[in-house]
Amino acid sequence: MFKKFTTEEVSGQNQVKASVQRRIRQSIAEEYPALEPVLEDLLPKKSPLIVAKCPNHLNLVVVNNVPLFFNIRDGPYMPTLRLLHQYPNIMKKLQVDRGAIKFVLSGANIMCPGLTSPGGALDDEVGAETPVAIMAEGKQHALAIGFTKMSAKDIRAMNKGIGVDNMHYLNDGLWKMERLD
Amino acid sequence: MAEKPQPVEVLYCGVCGLPAEYCEFGSEFEKCKPWLIQNAPDLYPDLLKDANGKDADKVSDQLQSTSISEGSSTSKQEEVKRLPGGKIKKKERQEIVIEKVTRNRRKSITTIKGLDLFGVKLSDASKKLGKKFATGASVVKGPTEKEQIDVQGDISYDIVDFITETWRDVPASAVFFIEDGKKVPAV
Repeated sequence: MFKKFTTEEVSGQNQVKASVQRRIRQSIAEEYPALEPVLEDLLPKKSPLIVAKCPNHLNLVVVNNVPLFFNIRDGPYMPTLRLLHQYPNIMKKLQVDRGAIKFVLSGANIMCPGLTSPGGALDDEVGAETPVAIMAEGKQHALAIGFTKMSAKDIRAMNKGIGVDNMHYLNDGLWKMERLD
Repeated sequence: MAEKPQPVEVLYCGVCGLPAEYCEFGSEFEKCKPWLIQNAPDLYPDLLKDANGKDADKVSDQLQSTSISEGSSTSKQEEVKRLPGGKIKKKERQEIVIEKVTRNRRKSITTIKGLDLFGVKLSDASKKLGKKFATGASVVKGPTEKEQIDVQGDISYDIVDFITETWRDVPASAVFFIEDGKKVPAV
């Protein structure tokens, strides 16, 4: 999704109303309960929260010029990888085997066999259509953020085709956009 | 309230910007290697061994050879840029594209793209153009980050002469018009 993504794509940045800001905070807090203690540091109530609009109904939540979250249409908010690296335990994790890394890093969606093979790992609690962190075999940090197409159980059962949509991965456009001015 | 989880410090590669452990999957692992050896030797134990061994010679060899090749072909800059891996974008062709955009039916704007490729300062150029044609001329950020000059009015009739006369290093063959969406050489 962010394969080609530059600051040029941002069609407009708005400082949002306090009520919208509250809503965003709330939905992020609901989505990532583990993040709640630090939420005040991440999205200070005082400092302005900016929502940058991009093509394809994509929104970026930007605080102090740093993109922190993104979402599509009214979908769930997902953290950027830089944020996830800081707080790795806020999301459910799926792990792909080593062979899949290079494909994921060039933007491929995550296929079921890469998750079910010995190098992969599946959290059985993951349902369909939820944001997940994609980890890699033998690596410490997440390499992508995905949005599950089917539940973990289905992935195991079907073991074929796309299991998780790749939303944001290392070295894509959003990753390179450390700051948004 | 639960205790604040501290943010994890992630070691990002100083060369490619990825977390150090993913450097091997980056596009420029070779370039990252020296940095990795210095800053994260435990991540890639093989690397350290190699570096101490024979590969050190190789690297220096490579360095030498690249510096030689660069030195010999500085005149053909375009080719050098394409060489490494064939992945690097080739240098943009030096050409000036002139397009007439009509607005309000009978008024038009002439946009000139590509003057900067000839090392012309756009702000100076726009001033000169404005003076010569007695119209407004401004440097505008066009699509895809490029800067272009917008001149009010239709000046396409003698802009080519003006450009080639004012900036001697611009050949007339490098000037193109856009007519009906097609690029047409001006001369």
